[in-house]
Amino acid sequence: MKWLGAVLLIIASTCIGMYISNRFEKRPKHIRQLQSALQLLEAEITYSQSPLQMAFRTIANQLPFPVSQFFHLLSEDMKTAETDFTILWNKRAEELAELASYRKNEVEILKQFGSSLGQHDFIQQQKQIRLALTHLERELEDARDEHHKYSKLARSLGVLLGVFIVLLLV
Amino acid sequence: MLTDISVLFQIAGIGIILALIHTILKQMGKEEIAQFATLVGFIIVLYIVINGLSDLFNQIKSVFLF
Repeated sequence: MKWLGAVLLIIASTCIGMYISNRFEKRPKHIRQLQSALQLLEAEITYSQSPLQMAFRTIANQLPFPVSQFFHLLSEDMKTAETDFTILWNKRAEELAELASYRKNEVEILKQFGSSLGQHDFIQQQKQIRLALTHLERELEDARDEHHKYSKLARSLGVLLGVFIVLLLV
Repeated sequence: MLTDISVLFQIAGIGIILALIHTILKQMGKEEIAQFATLVGFIIVLYIVINGLSDLFNQIKSVFLF
């Protein structure tokens, strides 16, 4: 019985370590997805000149899971809701932050970009997208650094802390 | 003589694990946290040892005072 508990404890703490290192691993990937989403949006706005709702739907079809859901839900929202677009965007951005492993910075960039969306002409809008992309590029660099530094650390620390706690309780 | 050997193994295990944690943290450039982890481990081991010592003194007291 005692050993069963010990094994369970080690497994649990290993899983926690894996989860944390997974978050570090996924963050650069998700930021890159957001970047490609913004690039697609730029193409949709400047070349196809489609309205935002249509643009969101095309983007949602072209990208993988967490970001695609954000744009899909947004386009659904725009069909039905009567509130301000910025409010919708902010709400969905917070939901996206929970699904993907974004930090506060990325959400802030996304929100700031959302408040500029639909306020300007093509060229101004393109500038806004470029600005958001540069900000995201900086965050991506940051996330990559942290990924290299901490993802291995979190994994091994999870296992070791589990063994440590077991030794304390034996 | 020494009847309960498991406490020795426990302390040895804690030492090994702490050494591993220290090296890993140091490799990743988190020197302060590595030091702190070692300090916490030291305090825990000290607590275990003091418990054993208090047992010893209690036994001595019961031999000589009563």
